[in-house]
Amino acid sequence: MLQCIFLLSDAGEVMLEKQLSRHCVDRSICAWFWEQAISLGDSFKQQPVITSPTHYIFQVFRDGITFLGCTQVEMPPLMAIEFLCRVADVLNDYFGALKEDILKDNFVIVYELLDEMIDNGFPLTTEPSILREMITPPNMVNKALSIVTGSSSNVKDTLPRATASCIPWRTSEPKYSNNDVYVDLVEEMDAIINRDGGLLKCEIYGEVQVNSHISGLPDLTLSFKNPSILDDVRFHPCVRFRPWESHQILSFVPPDGQFKLMGYRVRKLMSTPIYVKPQLTSDGGTCRLSVLVGTRNDPGKTIDSVTVQFQLPPFIISADLTSNHGTVNILDKKTCIWSIGRIPKDKAPSMSGTLVIETGLERLHVFPSFQVGFRIMGVALSGLQIDKLDLKNVTYRFYKGFRALTRAGEFEIRS
Amino acid sequence: MREREDQSNQISPLQLLIRRKCIYLTFSEETKGRSNRVRGHSTQLSVAMAPPPPQSHRSPSPSQPSGKSEVSDLKSQLRQLAGSRAPGADDSKRDLFKKVISNMTIGIDVSSLFGEMVMCSATSDIVLKKMCYLYVGNYAKVNPDLALLTINFLQRDCKDEDPMIRGLALRSLCSLRVANLVEYLVGPLGSGLKDNNSYVRMVAVIGVLKLYHISASTCIDADFPATLKHLMLNDPDTQVVANCLSALQEIWTSESSTSEEAAREREMLLSKPIVYHLLNRIKEFSEWAQCLVLELVSNYIPSDNSEIFDIMNLLEDRLQHANGAVVLATVKLFLQLTLSMADVHQQVYERIKAPLLTQVSSGSPEQSYAVLSHLHLLVMRAPYIFSSDYKHFYCQYNEPSYVKKLKLEMLTAVANESNTYEIVTELCEYAANVDIPIARESIRAVGKIALQQYDVNAIVDRLLQFLEMEKDYVTSEALVLVKDLLRKYPQWSQDCIAVVGNISSKNVQEPKAKAALIWMLGEYSQDMHDAPYVLESLVENWDEEHSSEVRLHLLTAVMKCFFKRPPETKKALGAALAAGLADFHQDVHDRALFYYRLLQYNVSVAESVVNPPKQAVSVFADTQSSEIKDRIFDEFNSLSVVYQKPSYMFTDKEHRGTFEFADELGNLSITAESADSVVPAQQVEANDKDLLLSTSEKDEGREPGSNGSAYNAPSYNGSSATSQPLADLAFPSTGISGQAPASNLAIDDLLGLDFSVGTATTPSPPPLNLNPKAVLDPGTFQQKWHQLPISLSEEYSLSPQGIASLTTPHALLRHMQSHSIQCIASGGQSPNFKFFFFAQKAEAASMYLVECIINTSSAKSQIKVKADDQSSSPAFSTLFQSALSKFGLP
Repeated sequence: MLQCIFLLSDAGEVMLEKQLSRHCVDRSICAWFWEQAISLGDSFKQQPVITSPTHYIFQVFRDGITFLGCTQVEMPPLMAIEFLCRVADVLNDYFGALKEDILKDNFVIVYELLDEMIDNGFPLTTEPSILREMITPPNMVNKALSIVTGSSSNVKDTLPRATASCIPWRTSEPKYSNNDVYVDLVEEMDAIINRDGGLLKCEIYGEVQVNSHISGLPDLTLSFKNPSILDDVRFHPCVRFRPWESHQILSFVPPDGQFKLMGYRVRKLMSTPIYVKPQLTSDGGTCRLSVLVGTRNDPGKTIDSVTVQFQLPPFIISADLTSNHGTVNILDKKTCIWSIGRIPKDKAPSMSGTLVIETGLERLHVFPSFQVGFRIMGVALSGLQIDKLDLKNVTYRFYKGFRALTRAGEFEIRS
Repeated sequence: MREREDQSNQISPLQLLIRRKCIYLTFSEETKGRSNRVRGHSTQLSVAMAPPPPQSHRSPSPSQPSGKSEVSDLKSQLRQLAGSRAPGADDSKRDLFKKVISNMTIGIDVSSLFGEMVMCSATSDIVLKKMCYLYVGNYAKVNPDLALLTINFLQRDCKDEDPMIRGLALRSLCSLRVANLVEYLVGPLGSGLKDNNSYVRMVAVIGVLKLYHISASTCIDADFPATLKHLMLNDPDTQVVANCLSALQEIWTSESSTSEEAAREREMLLSKPIVYHLLNRIKEFSEWAQCLVLELVSNYIPSDNSEIFDIMNLLEDRLQHANGAVVLATVKLFLQLTLSMADVHQQVYERIKAPLLTQVSSGSPEQSYAVLSHLHLLVMRAPYIFSSDYKHFYCQYNEPSYVKKLKLEMLTAVANESNTYEIVTELCEYAANVDIPIARESIRAVGKIALQQYDVNAIVDRLLQFLEMEKDYVTSEALVLVKDLLRKYPQWSQDCIAVVGNISSKNVQEPKAKAALIWMLGEYSQDMHDAPYVLESLVENWDEEHSSEVRLHLLTAVMKCFFKRPPETKKALGAALAAGLADFHQDVHDRALFYYRLLQYNVSVAESVVNPPKQAVSVFADTQSSEIKDRIFDEFNSLSVVYQKPSYMFTDKEHRGTFEFADELGNLSITAESADSVVPAQQVEANDKDLLLSTSEKDEGREPGSNGSAYNAPSYNGSSATSQPLADLAFPSTGISGQAPASNLAIDDLLGLDFSVGTATTPSPPPLNLNPKAVLDPGTFQQKWHQLPISLSEEYSLSPQGIASLTTPHALLRHMQSHSIQCIASGGQSPNFKFFFFAQKAEAASMYLVECIINTSSAKSQIKVKADDQSSSPAFSTLFQSALSKFGLP
């Protein structure tokens, strides 16, 4: 059980403190934490579980905000981390972004949320839809409304019925004039490609994201044409397990609004949509670099937002790189980004140039890894296809929308 | 299909524009200090801009109060509004409250406003109430008297018609945590537990727990635990049930130390009806409450296997849950349930593999790490199950290095015949990694795989390639590995030496690597034609070598080289010994002196000491004992796994103490080892020339010890076993002169060991050769003693000098030890002494066990010999007798 939660800004300032148990955790722990973070640098900042002289600290870092959970007792670490992640997600969901000034603007809401999410160190509810029922998120419509009506409370008058219902994720029975359900397949491709072009590992982690606005208590079923390609799946609590087990059908009563219905993994994919061929030759104190990028197996849709990023090896003192398409930028810490955008039909983009190696070294011994980013709209590269979406329990008509997107996750080419 | 706008959680440009405008608006109003009304409505924005002027935002020390004036300003404003019932009053109040709370959040002490805040909180506005609760909760503890003020309005709110307000008020009331106010808690809590709204009941249950922590007796007296138990079994709302469970667990656990009934109740929580009651409803519980129930069930002991299968069937779908905490709790439960069923346990591993791997790839970096730590534990326990999934443990460039480190260890563990090639290829990629610590780790991983595999052909080639990579750290790590590899697979020496020979020692800087290189130069000097010259140049640079470890190795290597190629190494050896003798480091100095004396005495003896034939190491010691690994496994899904230590090692001080003690022992034995090579010059001479003198010296040195009872008591010593490794450099029996008894004895006393080397007179070469380093533990001795028949039983006479010297048993022990006869137990007092000795035939396993009773008044000794090899026992008896007869002779 957590004893205290702190939110720290980018500058190490305590933005918010929420004591959860009778043991008051002194704020000085944040000062300790921040000193460590500064003196130890990135590797410390990334470490999720830290031991301070007095407490165990879990940290989750999101968009410049550090979420710290402190405890002195044994607890499942994943529970703490998972909870802090949920806090971050809920805040992000409420305020549209996680930013220091937005959080400071809304710190009362943050307190209210934390109050409902955790009591006495034990998480209660983190379902965004239920929280929304209890505490209204700040938005312009509400604000305008409150100016007109003169009431400006952001606390709903009634308690959500879900706290008493047996479907904890669905709050009340909303009413919509237009009923619609949108289903998105969002996939991320992780791949490692060897220096000789061989595909060492290629897999996809995908999510079925649903945005539902349906009146009443609908019962949905979603089925795929080829569920057998899925290696492993995980579900939102609303999904019934038996229909999936017997027929690979997703049967569920959806929460209202946006949620992740299912996550899945597809392993051992045989090809990638694009190729990136780096070539490095070094001799006599300089190194020639050329990188070619092109479409490999045309997915049928345009590939855009293509970027190639790599870290210049240490011992490189200068780099002169040009490309025939897109822009090349060298950022601080010797990171080089080549933004290609959309791959043109008529030519293969290439980047080339020379790197100057520190004097005294003839050849390069450390070769960079190239991280590739891309996005393909309209295609789920795993090949997963939605068969149909049906709605039971309701009489009205509703609109269904499907969409797919694949982007690069950890897509890495070694040289 | 319909293409839609990218609907991520971005704010639309329009919203942004409006928002910015608002900020601008409020800001300008704020600065001009105009109308209250507008400010009231755009509160969320104004707060950020308003409270403590600019420096508060990026202030380097946010805890610095920004001045008293602002607080007193707020105070007067609050006072004005306190009684106001004007239409806009609530909005202005809210504005002020926000300022107060934001000051509080920043760390400014606003407790002086307590009275005013409480006065203003008589309102129907729920946001105002919430802020006030927050404020009161924060300061009530320091202001118990003032807290009494709030009780009144909180109690009133507990009866509000809005359940939300009832709940909030109750929560705040319990969060005051002021001991002298507990009497006011019982009533509201009692009615809260009976409230018809589940939200209020849920809050009340946790309230009971809070009350318990403030005043346990009040809580028990009000009979709340029984009410909670009733609620747990009957409440329709699962969150209430879960809160009851968590509260009861805590209350009964802490009560059980004093009350038997509470202990019984705690056991009851684990009873079949309750566990089943909870399990049957598990899908209705929130994900966090599910974790709680799963944790509880993992302590439940099912009555039979079918029950286990029922539970697992019921919970199988929890493995597919989106919440990683639920998945991990389920995994723990499954593993615990099946511990006694080996085959099912294995199936559980197969079953949980995929969900865990999905968790790793889907979550945030923090979540992946926590899951990965657990996966690491499982992989280490059952690597073969994961051996086909090795690609999941490939490192990605962007991953933080602690994740990479875990992955490297897993890659090492899962390597088997079928995937070694791929894994080693992958690891070699990392050796060229930009991240140097990871590059090092991956080279070490290759080495570990090499040491755990049978077929190492390909790996050795890779390792040797590392040596040619011309990167300092790669070379260093590879050298250390090649050394270990040669210790295990001496047959590879030809290939390795050819490559190692090409490495210039100048390019190797790291002590460990340098020591490894020097070790190889010494060990294989006959195969490396320039070894003596490389060593010679290293010796020339003696003064520039800062690491004592390297200098020690250099000494030994030069010695070894000298034995193999004397003419070429003579010069280097002379220089090394001279430099060593002049070295300021005690160990180096002592080792040099020791070698010097040894060489002076007899070169061939020196060789058998410094460079005896070695056995290949079959298994290198593991760093973590399997017991510790089991402990960590038992604590699955806890911090122990992340720290890779069982919890007692980082939580319980008492236990930590014993470990420190163990460390101390380790250090002691190290000092003992180095002290072994201490041979103070004058002592050696004394021993050589005047044995009587030395004996008396020894007696002096021993005196403090012999007064101690422990020393006199018949000691079954396991010392021969433990002391043997310490005595690595000790003398063989063939009659080299003494040890440093004084220093040795001091250590012996400390360790309670009974190890010492006596001096020898001119021994006639015995027909039977004994192993000078025979080792036998007391248990085995006893066993053998019972098993073997007596092969000889004799009686000898002892010389008068011998009797004179036998004042304590220890004098004889030392004497016999110098004849390669070890004592395992001794005892008795003048005139009767009893000894148990043992000895081992050189280059053979056969042991001789002796019981020897000496009566000093009759100057007789009776011995009984038992032997593995009966035929040679007469020869041994002769030897024993000749050794005994020399006791006490000059």
